[in-house]
Parts: sequence; structure tokens; C-alpha cells
Amino acid sequence: MSLSLPRENVPPRRRRGGESSGLVPYLYLLPFALLFFVFVVYPVGYGFYVSMHRWDLLAETRPFVGLEYYRNLFDFSTPQAQFFWNSMRNTAFFTIVSVPLLVATALGLALLLYRPIFGRAFFRAVFFLPGVLTVSVMGILWRWMFDNQIGLVNAVRTDIFHLQPLPFLSTEGLAWIPIIVGTLWWTIGFNMTLYLAALGNISQSLYEAAEIDGATAWPKFRFITWPLLGPVTLFVFVTTVLASFQLFGQTLVITAGGPNRTTQSAIQYITEEAFTNNQFSSASAMAFMFGLVMLIFTFLQFRIMARDAREGS
Amino acid sequence: MTHSLRRTSLLALLVLGGAGAQTYSGPKVQLTFLHGFTGADRPVMERLIAQFNSAHPNIQVRAQAQPWGTTWQQLPSLVASGRAPDVVVINEDQITQFIARGAVSPLTDAELKAAAINKARFYGPLFKTADYEGKSYGVPISSVAYVMFYNKDLMNKMGITKVPTTRAEFLKAAQQCTADKSGKKAGQAGFDKANLDTWGVSLYNNWVGSRMAYAAILQNGGSLVDKNLNANFNTPQAVEAVQFLVDLVQKHGVARPNSTEEAELAAFSQGKVCFFPSGQWYTDRFEQQKMNFGVAFVPRVGSQKDAAWGGSSHLTLPKQRAGYDANKRRAALEFINWMTLPAQNLTWTEAGSLPTMPAVASNPKFAGRPIAGIFPKLGSIYATSGFPWSGQVLGPFDNAWANAYSGKQSVKAALDAGVSESNKQIQQARKSFQ
Repeated sequence: MSLSLPRENVPPRRRRGGESSGLVPYLYLLPFALLFFVFVVYPVGYGFYVSMHRWDLLAETRPFVGLEYYRNLFDFSTPQAQFFWNSMRNTAFFTIVSVPLLVATALGLALLLYRPIFGRAFFRAVFFLPGVLTVSVMGILWRWMFDNQIGLVNAVRTDIFHLQPLPFLSTEGLAWIPIIVGTLWWTIGFNMTLYLAALGNISQSLYEAAEIDGATAWPKFRFITWPLLGPVTLFVFVTTVLASFQLFGQTLVITAGGPNRTTQSAIQYITEEAFTNNQFSSASAMAFMFGLVMLIFTFLQFRIMARDAREGS
Repeated sequence: MTHSLRRTSLLALLVLGGAGAQTYSGPKVQLTFLHGFTGADRPVMERLIAQFNSAHPNIQVRAQAQPWGTTWQQLPSLVASGRAPDVVVINEDQITQFIARGAVSPLTDAELKAAAINKARFYGPLFKTADYEGKSYGVPISSVAYVMFYNKDLMNKMGITKVPTTRAEFLKAAQQCTADKSGKKAGQAGFDKANLDTWGVSLYNNWVGSRMAYAAILQNGGSLVDKNLNANFNTPQAVEAVQFLVDLVQKHGVARPNSTEEAELAAFSQGKVCFFPSGQWYTDRFEQQKMNFGVAFVPRVGSQKDAAWGGSSHLTLPKQRAGYDANKRRAALEFINWMTLPAQNLTWTEAGSLPTMPAVASNPKFAGRPIAGIFPKLGSIYATSGFPWSGQVLGPFDNAWANAYSGKQSVKAALDAGVSESNKQIQQARKSFQ
């Protein structure tokens, strides 16, 4: 993909006549700019103000405390530092494990369901439908499936394989399994649909030409499908990473962040600090720290993307 | 409603409603009322409000129902901007922080007296749930409690004739109920506690499960916080109480390790476990399943007093801006009084609440209902209230229980760690209340 536009598409710099005064484009931008200021710039600024004060709506004084709440996040004698970075680690772990699964499985399913097999529409629907469920329904479902004693998974283990039941929901480490499997089941349909659409855009003539040259399935995938799916893979990858960082509902419903906060996500902890502990300033500081980490991450991702794009063109 | 039932209700109204003389006689006012009874309890609440409005031509109450969580988030900004509703229902786990933050105004003795609200008609600990630093801030309208369900069929089968009420009885009954898959009983040689077929008592790892530990600590004379409201659930009494529960799993093998509420609920319904301590809100479910079950007060496993956890909702008057109409406040108190009178409380129990006062608990309506089994001890139900940092105390406490119960830490280590974390959080929370 080339980043520079072909020369002939660039509009002429100046038009004849006086109607292109500087104001008109800004008028078109105004509605969006208004929404952007009201719902993004102002809240972010206000959030920053909150994070620098000991803030409570009902308090008579809201003293300025500067960076105290940010410093707390680096003072490991405070619960905030321990739990915040713990939740960041958990979120990163979830992202690293689930993103490759979510991308690879979606691609695999799309390749299977792109072929004219019997019941194709039915299976596409089967994989897409879980995505319409709310996170609470999905969470309760998977919590039941993996329940320590009554869950289907443990019933299969004990009744068919004669193994001891595993306490998935209350064992550190194991508790990630229902969360990751559940997320995979819940969100896979969306990525699969994107891949199906992209597969539909690849011209059949390329495959026909390859077949004439005697290419088998693997080379066709390796040299035609995979490279042409590049842009959509990038899109799927980036959106999946962002969605994974926002992990919240799944862990909240399936494990409530337990056992011992080992599955507590960053957003879940920030919510706890704000609405359970009523520490809004501290939670705002965490939100900004979380945002900063995301920003650095996104910056790196764009650097890599831009390099790939240059190399690809 | 059948004819005879209606007659009973009318009789009850006559007996209970005697104290309902109207006290507000000022000009006509309109009150806004915000509450979180959005489920099956909503129609009952709406019926009561309609009844109040038709009986009080000079007070019109306009109610708004919305989820509790929404109210907790909105109330501070409503109060801060001077647009608070006239009456708000606040639950036991939230009320003290709203009081400490100044969102709710105290109800003076003179006001309570003028509105004919008599503290003594309620269960003592229930009314005190909305007290803070010697002042009252709310009047209880609804109440739930931790109880012990028992399976009569399984107890009969295992030869248990009496519902246990003491620690010794409880342990003995639990042992009698417990058999492993090869038929060996708890305590017998060769008993395999990892392969239970039936067992004595349900313990489990979430916040509901930790309310059993809360009950045991209170019963031993302990508490969650000390007199300075710092976390205090690692006292010797507390450790002893929680150790007894953990021993039920680890030493006696009469409860399953690492279990969940859902698993124990299913096991109880299937007749695999004799005693299932949980919220009284499961009563309906077991009745619909046509189970042969009973409801008892949590047995006294501690040495000092009877105690169990309870949740409650309180009618409160939020802080209003200067120049607020004094007539509205008087009318609101009239509304609070009427709503919490025995007749109305009896109606309210249809929504699944427990009686908030002895006068209602003794109503013949409850005779023969399984839930009536706990009525004699409703006065021994204690909310987790009275400290403004409930989140900072209950979170670490629930986690400590989970760690002790799963055997991840010793009881002492788990409770110590919980208290240490909680107190660090409280230290920070205190700064917000200065």
C-alpha cells in the first residue's frame, strides 16, 4: 500500500472566484468539532483537573494535591501501585494470549467458510451469533460451563475421562481459561466476517492463473490470499488489540477479577477505585496512566505499521 | 386474592394501622421520591405510593424508580447542584459514606417525634444501620438477611432430628450428613473427604459466602472495624471464628473445598447437602421447586451472641439548598412514617422483604411459611454498615475469606493481609472526608 496519493488526484491549490474564503471549511467542521470538544476535550481536561485535586463532588474544599495520586502509582507500599500494575500486567497477558488466537482462528474459520461447503450460511451464522449477546449473558454462560463442580467441562472430565474436577474459577492461572475461551467464542464472528468480506474481494482470476501454473492449495494461500489479506489483517489486528486492552466485562462476570486479583483488568480496577472506594482523583490518575501506556503502545504500533507499509509498497 | 385472605389483610390493617394518624396539615406540596425497587418489588411500591397519595390530599408523591447503581452515581451531583429529590432510598452498604460526605441530612429527635416515627417499633440493629456519630439519618423500609436453609429429606435420611443451633450441634449434624462415595461417614477410618457423596454444609468463595465468616466473627464478639472505624477483622476472636469454618473443610471434611455459590446452590437443590447458608432471597426459588426445606437462623458457632448479616434499604432526606420549603420536609417525614408503619411493612413483605419490626413478624400471615423460622431472631441481624469506607473494608475481607477457605493462606495470614490492605485504603479514604 502506498501512502502518497497519485499526483493527478491532488486538487488545485487555488480556485477561481471569491467563494473559497477561509471560513467555509471550518463551518463544515464545526458540528464535529463541537461534539469533539464537549465529549472528548472537555472531559479529558476535567479528568486531569480531578486527578490533580483531592476531589469529591460533595466536599466543601477540593485541595490541590499536584501529582500525589500519580506518585502513589509508583510507591509500592500503596495498594494503588500494587493493584494497578498488577491489573496492567493481567491486561497485557490477556492481550498477548488472546490476540493471536482471535486473529488466527478468525482467518481459519473464514477460509473454511468461504468455500462452497454444505450449510455454509448456517455455519457463518453460528459463529457470528454469539457476538450479539451482552457480556453478562456470555459471562454467566462461561462461568457455568467452567464451574468448579457443576460445570459442563468438569462433568466431561469426571464422567467421561474419569479425571478429578479442576477448580477453574478459583485457581490462579486456570481462571484465565474460561475468560479466554469465552472471549474467543464471543467475538470471533466479527473478525471472521471481516476476513470473509476481504476474501470476497480477491479476484478469482488470480487463482485461475495460479492453477494454470500448477499451484496447489498452500502456494495459492501463501502467495495470493495471505498478501492480499494484508490490509484487513492489519485492521483486524489493531482493532483486536485495542478491544483486548479494554477487557472489563468478561473478567467482571466470570471471575470478578479473582482469585486474588489475578484476573482483574486495568479498567476493572480503575472502576473499583472510583465507584467502590469513592477515590475519584486516584482513579482519574490511573486512567491517565493507562491512557499514556496505550498511547506509547499505539505510537510503536504505528511506527511498525508505517515501516511495513513502506516495505510493502 | 381470595375472600378469606382479603378479610385477614383487612383485620391486619385494623390491628397494625392504629398508629397512622396524620400529622402534616400544611399547604399542599409535591414530593419527589427516588428509589431502586425496579424488579418484582416495583409494582408493590407503586401500589403503596398510590395508596399514600389518595389518603393524603395535601401531599402528592411522585416516584421515580431507577437502578441502585445509577442513584449512587447521581446523588452527589444532584445534592451538589441543589436539585436533590425530596426523599431517596439508600442501601446499608452505601448509606454511611453518603452520610459522611454530607449528602444526607440528620433526622432530629424532635422531627422524628413530630412525625410520630418511633425508633422502638423497629428491630434495633436494623434502625441503627442508618445511624452515624450518634445521629439518625434514615428509617428502614426493607430488609434481607443471611439465613441457613436446611434440607429436611436429607436430614431425615441421615437421622438428624433437630435443626442445630450451637457449634457442637452444628458440627455433629454436619458430620452425620457427610458420606463419601464409598459410603463411609465423616470421622470414620478410611473416610475420603475428597470424594463426597453428601455433605453437611455449603461454604463457597464469593461475597455471599464470606457473609458466613462475618456471622461467625460477630457471634464470637468480633467485628469488621474497631471503634476508630479501622479494619479489625483479624482479632483473636475473628481468627478463632473463621478457623472453625475453615476446619469444616480441612479438618472435618464436612464441606467442600474451593466451591462456588452456584455449585452449592445446585447441590442443595439436588439433595446433596444438608445446610446451605445464604441470602433469604432464595426462599421463593426453593418453594417453587417444591423442595422439602426449612429456614433457620444461622447457628451460633461463636461463643458470645446470635448474629447474622443483613442488608437493608432506608428512607432518607438528602441535603437541600438553603431556603428549602420547610413544609416539604415535614410532608416528607409524614411520608416516611406512613411508609414504614406496620400495615405498609406487611404489604411490603410481599415483595420479598423481611419484616422490619416485631409487630409485623408476629402477623398470622407468616404462620407456617418456612421463612417464619428466623423471625424470633430478626433482632440479631447486623448490616455491614457504620463506616464510610465499606468498599475499602468489604473488598479485602471477602478476599481474605476466599484465601482462607481455599487453603491458599492460613486463616491468620489471610485475615492479617486483608486488614493490612484495608487499613492502607482507609488511610487514603480518610483524607477525602476531612
